Amino acid sequence: MTRWLLALALALPVAGWADELTAQQSAGQKAFAHRCGMCHREGGTGTFVLARRLGAAQSLLEQRTDLKPEYIRYVVRWGLMNMPRLSRVEVPETDMTDLVAYLTRPRPAAAP
Amino acid sequence: MKLILPPGVSHARFDQALAAFARVVGREWVLASDEDRETYLDLYSPGRDDSHAASAAVAPASVEQVQALLKIANEYRIPLWPISRGKNFGYGGAAPRLPGTVMLDMGRMNRILEVNDQLGYCILEPGVGFFDLWEHLKANKIALQLGIPGNGWGSVVGNALERGFSPAGDHSNNICGLEIVLPNGEVVRTGMGAMGDGKAWPLFKHGFGPSWDQMVVQGNLAIVTKLCLWMKPADEAAISIEIKLPKPSDLQWCVEALAPLRLQGAIEGLVRLTSFQASVTVPTLRSQWHQGTDSIPDDVIAQMMQRMNVGWWNGPLRLAGFSDVCEANLKRVLDRLAKFTKQEFPVTRMRGDAQPGPTTYPLQMVNWYGGRGGHIGYSPVMPADPKLVQEQFERTRRRYQQFGLDYSGTFYLDGRAATNVNLILYSKDDEDQKQRVRQLFQALIKDAREQGYGEYRTHLSYMDDVAASYDYNHNALLKLNERVKDALDPNGIIAPGRNGIWPKAYRAHRGVL
Ligand SMILES: Cc1cc2nc3c(=O)[nH]c(=O)nc-3n(C[C@H](O)[C@H](O)[C@H](O)COP(=O)(O)OP(=O)(O)OC[C@H]3O[C@@H](n4cnc5c(N)ncnc54)[C@H](O)[C@@H]3O)c2cc1C
Ligand code: HEC
Repeated sequence: MTRWLLALALALPVAGWADELTAQQSAGQKAFAHRCGMCHREGGTGTFVLARRLGAAQSLLEQRTDLKPEYIRYVVRWGLMNMPRLSRVEVPETDMTDLVAYLTRPRPAAAP
Repeated sequence: MKLILPPGVSHARFDQALAAFARVVGREWVLASDEDRETYLDLYSPGRDDSHAASAAVAPASVEQVQALLKIANEYRIPLWPISRGKNFGYGGAAPRLPGTVMLDMGRMNRILEVNDQLGYCILEPGVGFFDLWEHLKANKIALQLGIPGNGWGSVVGNALERGFSPAGDHSNNICGLEIVLPNGEVVRTGMGAMGDGKAWPLFKHGFGPSWDQMVVQGNLAIVTKLCLWMKPADEAAISIEIKLPKPSDLQWCVEALAPLRLQGAIEGLVRLTSFQASVTVPTLRSQWHQGTDSIPDDVIAQMMQRMNVGWWNGPLRLAGFSDVCEANLKRVLDRLAKFTKQEFPVTRMRGDAQPGPTTYPLQMVNWYGGRGGHIGYSPVMPADPKLVQEQFERTRRRYQQFGLDYSGTFYLDGRAATNVNLILYSKDDEDQKQRVRQLFQALIKDAREQGYGEYRTHLSYMDDVAASYDYNHNALLKLNERVKDALDPNGIIAPGRNGIWPKAYRAHRGVL
């Protein structure tokens, strides 16, 4: 019982802050994991190079709140410096739409 | 990228061919906009983008679709270059040799058809990435090992078909049976798969009669739709011996010490000795160390080695297998090293199944000069002889210095042969430097030829030069390859120019960039 309460206490604040993803955003999160994650999560080359150029705070795309849909689309298809261009076979248009929805989702205001 | 048509094909005919492709795969999977073409350019190209620009890409979802596409390609004389994931960076990426070629992007055929841990193999479609197979192994707790290249973003099949390798060895050696589609659309299974339901297809390499798998590797006779690959069961234990040698001249004795142990089997994987540079280019920028346009001088190298805590030549050397055998081999290796040096070699013991997974981290080495970067690999194969290896290194390094480029080399010893992979890094936006890169590359091909060494694999732009260096009896082997090519592919539609092999329809393009 106490263990259950403790778990609940730990879970609550997290649930309060967590993004509640729409179906499309959640499909986008999956597509991100599959097509971008190897470079844009911890230990990936995208994260490393962005940290070098923009600083650590801006290096993880999933935590960014400033990315614009057109910019994401452009970078994916035309590449950026050493980010390779990704074809419509690698990232089909449906995945692209979902991805963009996920990366540009409105975020709850930061905790005070 | 603007449209470059396949040679001899009018715009109208090209459009008709694309429309016919679309009837097979659906319009969505014929990729022919400027933006689409851009995504198939060689990101690291050391020359002009249009030297290897595709006119379009088409992406089939089944063997039947591949057959139908080949039929149309023959009818309209459209060359098709297959890629599995097309991440062949350093060797041409997702681009074709001949401008105007249509890429046959196999990325949608990405099923893991079988992984068998009892008999140690998997059967894959071309689009399966190293990350996909790795995740499958972890998710299903399958205790098999995977040879993973430094760039883990590619496909298991494409990498094996390029004769890619890792410290686990030459990945094409693990191919055991293919399903291929010939230029005329016929489907063939090789080896034991040539039997209707051949039970030993992924188990015994040769079947009955001549063996075809290696005819397809680095070749252009067929499209691979399934590949059976041997995988090794996870080891019980592994030992990592840290090799960190302070001087450039230490290479020679180290080869003398280790090559015989590899030949006798005390070391199972390849012995990898890599120069300091590899540990510096990935995490740092050149401008942090040196501003000059010359090759990085020795005093700066000394600083790099000290600050990054690396040697001039570096291991690690990995022993893996049953733990008692590993311990016995460890003693052999350390005893042997002690005959050559007083240096200590720290040892780390690990679980055998603690293999690191695929990563993209090393890709940022092309950022070395700060902006848009690229690299090409120059990789001759030579005897694993200590003196010859030392001379090869010194000759190669002098060439880098002559052209003002930073030396970065690795020797992979398999006991008999040494594969010497050299990376040439450059800035894509520095025309003068790229010019020097091209000069260096030609000089290196010539040097290797003089020594009787040849490259195991090369960038699209150098395929003709390297093929020409295999020159016994007036390039008799190349001529044989081209006779076979013409017999099986009379219209020359599959990957014209791959590894210097030109079908008669496009032979005038040999050497033209
Ligand atoms: C930093 C860095 C490190 C690297 N480290 C390594 C390394 O350690 N080892 C190594 O081997 N490589 C290495 N590479 C090179 C390269 O990135 C890998 O070999 C990669 O796996 C190749 O791309 P791919 O698997 O997508 O093959 P693809 O590009 O799909 O295929 C390569 C070629 O094989 C042929 N081919 C592919 N599919 C088919 C098919 N279905 N039918 C017929 N022919 C086909 C085509 O000619 C194609 O161009 C490295 C590159 C970089 C940038
Ligand atoms: C092979 C590695 C790789 C993959 C895969 C990859 N990226 Fe990148 N990406 C990079 C690198 C490297 C950079 C940094 C480029 C630079 O600044 O030099 C980058 C930068 C970006 C940027 C620019 C951020 C900024 O603030 O300028 C965006 C947006 C982006 N990537 C989106 C994506 C998306 C979406 C995907 C998946 C569809 C993806 N990337 C897949 C390597 C990758």
